Amino acid sequence: MISTGNDVVSLNAIDITRTKLPNFYSKILSTPESVLYNEAVAAALPFENFVWLLWSIKESAYKYLQRINPELIFTPVMVVGDQLQVPPAYTPTAFGKNELSGAGFRDLPTFDTTVTFGQDVIYSKSLVYTDIIVTVVHSNKNFEDTFWGIKWIDDTDNENQSAAVRAFLLDNLHKLCGLDNITISKNKNAIPVLLIESEETDIPVSLSHHEHFVAYSFQHF
Amino acid sequence: MTRQEILEELKKVISPYTTNKEMLAEINDQTDLIKDLKINSANLVDIIIDAEAKYDIEIDYDVADKMMVVGTCIDVISERISQKL
Repeated sequence: MISTGNDVVSLNAIDITRTKLPNFYSKILSTPESVLYNEAVAAALPFENFVWLLWSIKESAYKYLQRINPELIFTPVMVVGDQLQVPPAYTPTAFGKNELSGAGFRDLPTFDTTVTFGQDVIYSKSLVYTDIIVTVVHSNKNFEDTFWGIKWIDDTDNENQSAAVRAFLLDNLHKLCGLDNITISKNKNAIPVLLIESEETDIPVSLSHHEHFVAYSFQHF
Repeated sequence: MTRQEILEELKKVISPYTTNKEMLAEINDQTDLIKDLKINSANLVDIIIDAEAKYDIEIDYDVADKMMVVGTCIDVISERISQKL
């Protein structure tokens, strides 16, 4: 199962009051996840950030699985994040107007979960800053072949977000993997694909943007 | 409510979440909220909550996939309104 899925949430764009309303968060969290917050996460994250962390995990998992099964329907409460591990000595900081990219998450303070959606089980790693949450999912717990990037952008217009995340990905495909002559397209299911000289590659990519932030993930061996 | 009346109200619900006002004015049953109106997926719950308040109905997220396309969105709202009567 080769795929990838990512998501970014700009915490400055969320409505904190609304997020705390039961009729809002009950459309995202499953009952066990609501319990999980009080048991394991309350000391590390405010509730609204927990809700959007779970949203980010579920959205990433959906993107990962939809690439494999395009008919998949996204029902957030059916995508269950479990065994959440809070990074030790977690101290939230701001991401700010920066960019960050890497392969794997070694030595980074990630929130980790095991994600179940029906019969499928995958794994998530999330970076939680005071201004953004970024998640990447993978089929096993070793993310060393998972490349990812996050970048602040000035212009939040949808067309610019879309262009910026593609340019960011192409730049890092060149820098990190030495890949050139690549274009990004979408397949018939509206899932992004990489083309090298018009031939579709088997490198799965996932793109995400929210307000001032763009992010990508891809698998490359 | 007729489908046309629901459509007109739905435009008001969706409006805060799209900058593509020209396309919003011309939405039809086939319009996809994410692909056509460029609405961020993080706002889909907002749209469901706002639609619930606007029509005094409840929409479970298990029909949320239907809330991504205008035509099925109207179907869900119409069905929920009729269940109230």
